[in-house]
Amino acid sequence: MEKIPNKSWQTQLRTVLVFTKLSTRRFFRDRLAQFFSILFPLIFLFVFGSLTKGNGNVTFSVALINESKTPFAAQLTHNIENSKTFKVNSSLTTLSAAENKMHQNQLDGIIVLPSNFGAMQPGQTYPSGQANVLYDESSSGTGQTLTSLFQATFANINTKYVPTKEPFSVKGQVLNTKKLTSFDYTFSGLLGFSIIGLGIFGPVNVFPELKKQGILRRLHTTPLKTWQYFMATMFSQAVTGIISIAVMFAVAIGVFHLKVDGNYLEIGLFTVYSIFMILGMGLAIGGWAKNERQAAPLSNIVVFPMLFLSGTFFPRYLMPHWLQTTTNYLPLTPVIDGLRLLTTEGKNLIDIGPQLGLIAIWFVLIYAVAFRVFKWE
Amino acid sequence: MPEPILKVKKLTKAYDDKLAVDAISFDVKKGETFGILGPNGAGKTTTLEMIETLRPIDSGSITVDGIDVSERPNDIKQIIGVQPQTAAFQDKQKLTEIIEMFAAAYGERVKAKEFLDDVELGEKANDFAESLSGGQRQRLSIAAALVHKPKLFFLDEPTTGLDPQARRNLWDLIRTVRARGVTVILTTHYLEEAELLCDRVAIMDNGKIIALDTPRNLVRQLLKRGFTKEQHTEKANLEDVFIDLTGKALRD
Repeated sequence: MEKIPNKSWQTQLRTVLVFTKLSTRRFFRDRLAQFFSILFPLIFLFVFGSLTKGNGNVTFSVALINESKTPFAAQLTHNIENSKTFKVNSSLTTLSAAENKMHQNQLDGIIVLPSNFGAMQPGQTYPSGQANVLYDESSSGTGQTLTSLFQATFANINTKYVPTKEPFSVKGQVLNTKKLTSFDYTFSGLLGFSIIGLGIFGPVNVFPELKKQGILRRLHTTPLKTWQYFMATMFSQAVTGIISIAVMFAVAIGVFHLKVDGNYLEIGLFTVYSIFMILGMGLAIGGWAKNERQAAPLSNIVVFPMLFLSGTFFPRYLMPHWLQTTTNYLPLTPVIDGLRLLTTEGKNLIDIGPQLGLIAIWFVLIYAVAFRVFKWE
Repeated sequence: MPEPILKVKKLTKAYDDKLAVDAISFDVKKGETFGILGPNGAGKTTTLEMIETLRPIDSGSITVDGIDVSERPNDIKQIIGVQPQTAAFQDKQKLTEIIEMFAAAYGERVKAKEFLDDVELGEKANDFAESLSGGQRQRLSIAAALVHKPKLFFLDEPTTGLDPQARRNLWDLIRTVRARGVTVILTTHYLEEAELLCDRVAIMDNGKIIALDTPRNLVRQLLKRGFTKEQHTEKANLEDVFIDLTGKALRD
């Protein structure tokens, strides 16, 4: 009887690296895989990015009906049209057309400058008049803001014509210059979405097919161990994940003016760490399922609650408090929070200890299950 | 007589009360080509899968080269090569990469091209596996099963679905493997194939081995029992005609 020597850890690790290399190479030849892991999240980035574009400043969509011929009215019209606060719909020139649009909820308000607006009243040396701000009952908040905006503007103009000393005044001052924009939330959510797609839908789609063709079974006739196969999958997914996330960053910075206030090395490390954990769910589901019919429903049950409750498509701060507390502990929540804290909130890995810890707990739980339920055929 | 490389003793496997393999015992000698024949559902594949460590054994024992299969399955995997019934490979993978991958699974480094040359696939080394024909895929599968120089090589119905040229080519390949000293165990539905390739065959039915001997002895025993074929035996058959007309050269 011949003694078969145990393989050294170097040999066992080399097996992992060869499998990693080959499956990464396969990814670069597979257009479909590239589409789903790189282009697909980008499409979402463009859609959601455009919806939340801008730096969080408010703009009002208004119609401007100028019935006055005075130079003052003309000057005011010009200023409003060039203002960043207002988006003037210039196709609306009559009041009735504008009212119609406003009822369809496509306008925030209508500004009417009556025919005598800006004219000199007899015996006065300066122009005067009253502008009307019309708004829909259903959006009275917006209407009041519009009205006070004009009051402030006119107060400014008034002091130029009639200098008075006001005993009380108020001045707004910006305190927090690093205010988060809604795009910051959207972006970290979409990074989470991309990681989910890669980590869960990847193996869930591939494994049942490999089982059907007997490819995994064949590998099982070799001394290849489950941990080696898992590790090779983790490494090659990390490579594709980093590429996908890097492309998203490039687009977010180039197109949506994302301001990255963090360290790219830390973001990269955290991304890989997150991919490893999330991938465990894909390995567990895809590894357990005998076929697509088992894999698809289970992956949807796992993925959809996370997509909606972990802040992927809309920020969690919009949720009622009790829901925020309960969804804090979902596996994807610390991933998205961690990515946002590192990317736009200027935090580093030490600051996000709670997120790292929560991911570690999920990591252990998920892989304990994945190793137990994995089937080669 | 050399020590048997495979010893199977009272091997038993049941699926829900039905005995798939019913206390079978047989030995396979070092260097021989051993065939397991039998109708569908006879227990051939289950028997192979238990020897290949893919299926747990209910009772009985298997040793390969002195190693107990249920005790040290990982050591068994290192000395056997397995060619499954269907030779499937992942898409977008070059032939050399497939060889490299299997070698890595066994912890080996190999020159992939040499293994491909061995099975006449050297010219296709940089093609993707999905572009291969059925016969080529079987040959690639054989090359992949031999990367670690196994002592015992299993083939499950290797020529099912192949055209006569590809079958003959595969027979030659199996003979070459045997000539290198590898013990070959194969299952097949083609009795002619068993007769041509196997030193000994076991015929299984209902989970039992009902006959085990050299093909020639099995035929002799049958004739001794007074069997005569109804038809007059021709000196050639339709397959001979086919090969004579279309040649032995591979078509893929």
